[in-house]
Amino acid sequence: MDDSSRYAKLTEFGKKLLNKPSLSEGLVLISDTAKDLLCAQRCSIYIYDKSHNQLWTVLSDEIQKIQISAAEGVVGHTLKEKKPIISNDPYSDPTFFKEIDHQTGYVTKNIATAPVFNSSRKTIGVLQLLNKEDGFNDEDTKFMIFFAHYISSYLELASLLGDNNE
Amino acid sequence: MNKFAEIAKFGKELVETQEIENALDLIAIEAKKLLKCERCSIFLIDYESQMLWTKHSDGIGRIAISTDAGIVGHTFKTRAPQIVNNPYDNQFFMPNIDKKSGFTTKNIITTLIFDSNREVIGIIQLLNKLEGDFEEDDLKVLNFFANYVSGTLELALIQEKNTQL
Repeated sequence: MDDSSRYAKLTEFGKKLLNKPSLSEGLVLISDTAKDLLCAQRCSIYIYDKSHNQLWTVLSDEIQKIQISAAEGVVGHTLKEKKPIISNDPYSDPTFFKEIDHQTGYVTKNIATAPVFNSSRKTIGVLQLLNKEDGFNDEDTKFMIFFAHYISSYLELASLLGDNNE
Repeated sequence: MNKFAEIAKFGKELVETQEIENALDLIAIEAKKLLKCERCSIFLIDYESQMLWTKHSDGIGRIAISTDAGIVGHTFKTRAPQIVNNPYDNQFFMPNIDKKSGFTTKNIITTLIFDSNREVIGIIQLLNKLEGDFEEDDLKVLNFFANYVSGTLELALIQEKNTQL
Protein backbone atom coordinates (compact mmCIF):
# COMPACT_ATOMS: atom_id res chain seq x y z
CA MET A 1 0.00 0.00 0.00
CA ASP A 2 1.48 3.38 -0.93
CA ASP A 3 1.84 6.18 1.53
CA SER A 4 -0.93 8.49 0.37
CA SER A 5 -3.56 5.75 0.36
CA ARG A 6 -2.46 4.80 3.86
CA TYR A 7 -3.06 8.34 5.08
CA ALA A 8 -6.32 8.63 3.17
CA LYS A 9 -7.68 5.61 5.03
CA LEU A 10 -6.84 7.16 8.38
CA THR A 11 -9.54 9.81 8.39
CA GLU A 12 -12.28 7.18 8.29
CA PHE A 13 -10.46 5.22 10.95
CA GLY A 14 -10.25 8.33 13.17
CA LYS A 15 -14.01 8.78 13.04
CA LYS A 16 -14.68 5.15 13.87
CA LEU A 17 -12.16 5.13 16.69
CA LEU A 18 -13.67 8.10 18.51
CA ASN A 19 -17.01 6.32 18.52
CA LYS A 20 -15.64 3.32 20.39
CA PRO A 21 -16.86 3.75 23.92
CA SER A 22 -14.43 1.36 25.58
CA LEU A 23 -10.67 1.13 25.43
CA SER A 24 -10.85 -2.63 24.75
CA GLU A 25 -12.98 -2.10 21.64
CA GLY A 26 -10.75 0.78 20.58
CA LEU A 27 -7.65 -1.40 20.86
CA VAL A 28 -9.18 -4.01 18.58
CA LEU A 29 -10.05 -1.39 15.96
CA ILE A 30 -6.54 0.07 16.18
CA SER A 31 -4.99 -3.39 15.72
CA ASP A 32 -7.19 -4.26 12.75
CA THR A 33 -6.41 -0.93 11.06
CA ALA A 34 -2.66 -1.17 11.65
CA LYS A 35 -2.59 -4.73 10.28
CA ASP A 36 -4.44 -3.63 7.19
CA LEU A 37 -2.33 -0.51 6.55
CA LEU A 38 1.00 -2.22 7.18
CA CYS A 39 0.09 -5.56 5.58
CA ALA A 40 1.08 -7.49 8.69
CA GLN A 41 -0.41 -10.69 9.99
CA ARG A 42 -0.81 -9.62 13.61
CA CYS A 43 -0.91 -6.45 15.63
CA SER A 44 -1.06 -5.76 19.35
CA ILE A 45 -1.21 -2.48 21.24
CA TYR A 46 0.39 -2.96 24.61
CA ILE A 47 -0.64 -0.55 27.35
CA TYR A 48 1.99 0.16 29.98
CA ASP A 49 0.84 -0.37 33.55
CA LYS A 50 3.51 1.45 35.46
CA SER A 51 2.37 0.45 38.94
CA HIS A 52 2.73 -3.26 38.15
CA ASN A 53 5.59 -2.77 35.67
CA GLN A 54 3.62 -4.75 33.12
CA LEU A 55 2.35 -4.37 29.60
CA TRP A 56 -1.11 -5.65 28.78
CA THR A 57 -3.11 -6.03 25.62
CA VAL A 58 -6.45 -7.47 24.57
CA LEU A 59 -6.96 -10.22 22.03
CA SER A 60 -9.32 -9.70 19.13
CA ASP A 61 -12.25 -11.11 21.10
CA GLU A 62 -12.01 -7.98 23.32
CA ILE A 63 -12.27 -10.12 26.44
CA GLN A 64 -9.05 -11.97 26.98
CA LYS A 65 -6.11 -9.93 28.20
CA ILE A 66 -2.44 -10.85 27.85
CA GLN A 67 0.07 -9.47 30.30
CA ILE A 68 3.82 -9.45 29.98
CA SER A 69 6.55 -8.04 32.14
CA ALA A 70 7.59 -4.56 31.01
CA ALA A 71 11.17 -5.81 30.71
CA GLU A 72 10.39 -8.67 28.32
CA GLY A 73 11.00 -9.07 24.64
CA VAL A 74 11.18 -6.61 21.79
CA VAL A 75 8.15 -4.77 23.19
CA GLY A 76 9.85 -4.36 26.55
CA HIS A 77 13.00 -3.20 24.79
CA THR A 78 10.98 -0.60 22.85
CA LEU A 79 9.54 0.68 26.12
CA LYS A 80 12.99 0.97 27.63
CA GLU A 81 14.66 2.60 24.61
CA LYS A 82 11.65 4.79 23.69
CA LYS A 83 12.47 4.11 20.04
CA PRO A 84 10.90 2.10 17.23
CA ILE A 85 12.51 -1.28 16.52
CA ILE A 86 12.53 -3.52 13.47
CA SER A 87 13.60 -7.11 13.94
CA ASN A 88 13.48 -9.01 10.67
CA ASP A 89 15.25 -12.04 12.10
CA PRO A 90 13.85 -12.33 15.62
CA TYR A 91 15.26 -15.77 16.40
CA SER A 92 18.76 -14.28 16.09
CA ASP A 93 17.77 -11.26 18.16
CA PRO A 94 18.79 -11.57 21.84
CA THR A 95 15.93 -9.28 22.95
CA PHE A 96 13.27 -11.50 21.32
CA PHE A 97 11.20 -13.49 23.81
CA LYS A 98 10.71 -16.95 22.25
CA GLU A 99 8.54 -18.26 25.06
CA ILE A 100 5.35 -16.76 23.65
CA ASP A 101 5.84 -18.54 20.31
CA HIS A 102 6.51 -21.78 22.19
CA GLN A 103 3.34 -21.38 24.20
CA THR A 104 1.08 -20.39 21.33
CA GLY A 105 2.59 -22.37 18.48
CA TYR A 106 2.75 -19.19 16.42
CA VAL A 107 5.99 -18.57 14.49
CA THR A 108 7.19 -14.96 14.56
CA LYS A 109 9.07 -14.18 11.36
CA ASN A 110 9.54 -10.47 11.80
CA ILE A 111 8.58 -7.69 14.21
CA ALA A 112 8.15 -3.93 14.05
CA THR A 113 7.38 -1.79 17.09
CA ALA A 114 6.88 1.87 17.97
CA PRO A 115 6.44 3.51 21.37
CA VAL A 116 3.24 5.46 22.13
CA PHE A 117 3.74 8.66 24.11
CA ASN A 118 1.23 10.76 26.06
CA SER A 119 1.00 14.56 26.14
CA SER A 120 3.74 14.71 28.80
CA ARG A 121 6.02 12.62 26.58
CA LYS A 122 5.78 9.62 28.90
CA THR A 123 5.57 6.20 27.24
CA ILE A 124 2.07 4.83 27.72
CA GLY A 125 2.24 1.89 25.37
CA VAL A 126 3.87 0.04 22.51
CA LEU A 127 2.48 -0.70 19.06
CA GLN A 128 3.69 -4.08 17.77
CA LEU A 129 3.22 -5.65 14.34
CA LEU A 130 4.21 -9.18 13.38
CA ASN A 131 4.89 -11.06 10.17
CA LYS A 132 4.89 -8.85 7.13
CA GLU A 133 5.51 -10.92 4.02
CA ASP A 134 8.85 -9.43 2.96
CA GLY A 135 9.86 -8.02 6.32
CA PHE A 136 9.50 -4.48 7.66
CA ASN A 137 11.33 -1.45 6.26
CA ASP A 138 12.06 2.17 7.20
CA GLU A 139 8.91 3.42 5.46
CA ASP A 140 6.89 1.16 7.74
CA THR A 141 8.65 2.59 10.78
CA LYS A 142 7.97 6.12 9.56
CA PHE A 143 4.30 5.33 9.20
CA MET A 144 4.19 3.56 12.57
CA ILE A 145 5.65 6.63 14.30
CA PHE A 146 2.89 8.70 12.74
CA PHE A 147 0.22 6.11 13.57
CA ALA A 148 1.39 5.72 17.19
CA HIS A 149 1.17 9.49 17.63
CA TYR A 150 -2.23 9.64 15.92
CA ILE A 151 -3.76 7.08 18.29
CA SER A 152 -1.93 8.37 21.38
CA SER A 153 -4.46 11.07 22.19
CA TYR A 154 -7.30 8.58 22.02
CA LEU A 155 -5.43 6.17 24.30
CA GLU A 156 -4.45 8.88 26.78
CA LEU A 157 -7.96 10.26 26.98
CA ALA A 158 -9.55 6.81 27.20
CA SER A 159 -7.25 5.95 30.10
CA LEU A 160 -7.99 9.26 31.84
CA LEU A 161 -11.73 8.91 31.47
CA GLY A 162 -11.60 5.32 32.70
CA ASP A 163 -12.91 2.28 31.01
CA ASN A 164 -16.35 1.55 32.42
CA ASN A 165 -16.90 -1.43 30.19
CA GLU A 166 -14.06 -3.43 31.65
CA MET B 1 -18.86 18.02 32.35
CA ASN B 2 -15.16 17.82 33.17
CA LYS B 3 -12.55 19.15 30.77
CA PHE B 4 -11.41 15.73 29.55
CA ALA B 5 -14.95 14.61 28.77
CA GLU B 6 -15.44 17.89 26.93
CA ILE B 7 -12.29 17.28 24.89
CA ALA B 8 -13.48 13.74 24.05
CA LYS B 9 -16.77 15.15 22.76
CA PHE B 10 -14.91 17.78 20.77
CA GLY B 11 -12.65 15.10 19.21
CA LYS B 12 -15.66 13.55 17.50
CA GLU B 13 -16.62 16.87 15.92
CA LEU B 14 -13.04 17.54 14.87
CA VAL B 15 -12.60 14.30 12.90
CA GLU B 16 -15.78 15.09 10.95
CA THR B 17 -14.27 18.26 9.44
CA GLN B 18 -13.06 18.07 5.87
CA GLU B 19 -10.94 21.16 5.29
CA ILE B 20 -7.99 22.18 7.41
CA GLU B 21 -9.40 25.72 7.70
CA ASN B 22 -12.55 24.37 9.32
CA ALA B 23 -10.51 22.18 11.64
CA LEU B 24 -8.46 25.18 12.76
CA ASP B 25 -11.61 27.20 13.41
CA LEU B 26 -13.09 24.39 15.49
CA ILE B 27 -9.87 23.98 17.47
CA ALA B 28 -9.76 27.71 18.20
CA ILE B 29 -13.38 27.82 19.35
CA GLU B 30 -12.88 24.80 21.61
CA ALA B 31 -9.65 26.21 23.10
CA LYS B 32 -11.44 29.45 23.98
CA LYS B 33 -14.25 27.51 25.58
CA LEU B 34 -11.92 25.26 27.58
CA LEU B 35 -9.81 28.06 29.00
CA LYS B 36 -12.53 30.71 29.01
CA CYS B 37 -10.70 33.28 26.92
CA GLU B 38 -11.61 36.08 24.60
CA ARG B 39 -9.47 35.17 21.59
CA CYS B 40 -7.55 32.31 20.09
CA SER B 41 -5.19 32.08 17.15
CA ILE B 42 -3.53 29.00 15.79
CA PHE B 43 -0.28 29.68 13.99
CA LEU B 44 1.13 27.14 11.57
CA ILE B 45 4.81 27.12 10.71
CA ASP B 46 6.16 27.52 7.23
CA TYR B 47 9.77 26.40 7.55
CA GLU B 48 10.67 27.55 4.03
CA SER B 49 9.71 31.18 4.51
CA GLN B 50 10.37 31.15 8.28
CA MET B 51 6.92 32.58 8.88
CA LEU B 52 4.16 31.79 11.30
CA TRP B 53 0.74 32.26 9.82
CA THR B 54 -2.90 31.81 10.66
CA LYS B 55 -5.38 30.42 8.17
CA HIS B 56 -8.12 31.56 10.43
CA SER B 57 -7.72 34.22 13.04
CA ASP B 58 -10.57 35.02 15.17
CA GLY B 59 -11.63 38.62 14.73
CA ILE B 60 -8.28 40.08 13.74
CA GLY B 61 -8.06 38.89 10.14
CA ARG B 62 -5.30 36.76 8.70
CA ILE B 63 -1.88 37.23 10.26
CA ALA B 64 1.60 36.25 9.12
CA ILE B 65 4.51 36.99 11.39
CA SER B 66 8.18 36.16 11.37
CA THR B 67 9.18 33.09 13.42
CA ASP B 68 11.16 35.32 15.79
CA ALA B 69 8.45 37.94 16.40
CA GLY B 70 6.43 38.40 19.55
CA ILE B 71 5.44 35.96 22.28
CA VAL B 72 4.47 33.41 19.64
CA GLY B 73 7.90 33.70 18.01
CA HIS B 74 9.53 33.40 21.42
CA THR B 75 7.48 30.25 22.07
CA PHE B 76 8.71 28.80 18.78
CA LYS B 77 12.32 29.77 19.35
CA THR B 78 12.56 28.43 22.90
CA ARG B 79 10.22 25.45 22.28
CA ALA B 80 8.65 26.39 25.61
CA PRO B 81 5.01 27.31 26.37
CA GLN B 82 4.57 30.83 27.70
CA ILE B 83 2.32 32.49 30.26
CA VAL B 84 2.48 36.28 30.08
CA ASN B 85 0.17 38.07 32.47
CA ASN B 86 1.63 41.56 31.92
CA PRO B 87 2.32 41.69 28.20
CA TYR B 88 3.05 45.43 28.12
CA ASP B 89 5.98 44.80 30.49
CA ASN B 90 7.28 41.89 28.45
CA GLN B 91 10.19 42.50 26.09
CA PHE B 92 8.93 39.99 23.51
CA PHE B 93 5.39 41.35 23.28
CA MET B 94 4.60 43.34 20.11
CA PRO B 95 2.24 46.18 21.07
CA ASN B 96 1.91 47.35 17.46
CA ILE B 97 -0.59 44.55 16.67
CA ASP B 98 -2.86 45.90 19.41
CA LYS B 99 -2.36 49.43 18.07
CA LYS B 100 -3.39 48.38 14.56
CA SER B 101 -6.38 46.32 15.62
CA GLY B 102 -7.61 48.41 18.55
CA PHE B 103 -7.69 45.25 20.68
CA THR B 104 -6.11 45.41 24.15
CA THR B 105 -4.14 42.33 25.12
CA LYS B 106 -4.35 41.76 28.87
CA ASN B 107 -2.74 38.36 29.14
CA ILE B 108 -1.39 35.62 26.89
CA ILE B 109 -0.87 31.88 27.05
CA THR B 110 0.82 29.88 24.31
CA THR B 111 1.82 26.31 23.68
CA LEU B 112 3.40 24.27 20.91
CA ILE B 113 1.84 21.67 18.67
CA PHE B 114 4.32 18.93 17.79
CA ASP B 115 3.99 16.31 15.06
CA SER B 116 4.90 12.64 15.45
CA ASN B 117 8.59 13.39 14.82
CA ARG B 118 8.64 16.12 17.50
CA GLU B 119 8.83 18.87 14.88
CA VAL B 120 6.84 21.96 15.78
CA ILE B 121 3.92 22.28 13.36
CA GLY B 122 2.05 25.05 15.10
CA ILE B 123 1.44 27.26 18.09
CA ILE B 124 -1.83 27.87 19.91
CA GLN B 125 -2.17 31.33 21.41
CA LEU B 126 -4.98 32.42 23.70
CA LEU B 127 -5.59 36.00 24.77
CA ASN B 128 -7.47 37.61 27.62
CA LYS B 129 -8.73 35.08 30.09
CA LEU B 130 -12.19 36.23 31.12
CA GLU B 131 -11.50 35.98 34.85
CA GLY B 132 -8.10 36.45 36.45
CA ASP B 133 -4.66 35.59 35.18
CA PHE B 134 -3.44 32.50 33.37
CA GLU B 135 -2.11 29.83 35.72
CA GLU B 136 -0.13 26.60 35.53
CA ASP B 137 -3.39 24.62 35.53
CA ASP B 138 -4.48 26.43 32.36
CA LEU B 139 -1.20 25.41 30.77
CA LYS B 140 -1.75 21.76 31.72
CA VAL B 141 -5.12 21.76 30.01
CA LEU B 142 -3.75 23.61 26.99
CA ASN B 143 -0.78 21.26 26.62
CA PHE B 144 -3.06 18.27 26.79
CA PHE B 145 -5.38 19.86 24.27
CA ALA B 146 -2.53 20.76 21.88
CA ASN B 147 -1.32 17.18 21.94
CA TYR B 148 -4.85 15.91 21.48
CA VAL B 149 -5.36 17.86 18.25
CA SER B 150 -1.82 17.33 16.95
CA GLY B 151 -2.49 13.97 15.26
CA THR B 152 -5.51 15.26 13.38
CA LEU B 153 -3.63 18.40 12.38
CA GLU B 154 -0.59 16.46 11.21
CA LEU B 155 -2.81 14.18 9.13
CA ALA B 156 -4.62 17.18 7.62
CA LEU B 157 -1.28 18.78 6.68
CA ILE B 158 0.01 15.53 5.11
CA GLN B 159 -3.20 15.17 3.12
CA GLU B 160 -3.08 18.77 2.00
CA LYS B 161 0.45 18.20 0.74
CA ASN B 162 -0.55 14.94 -0.99
CA THR B 163 -3.42 16.59 -2.87
CA GLN B 164 -1.17 19.42 -4.03
CA LEU B 165 1.31 17.00 -5.58
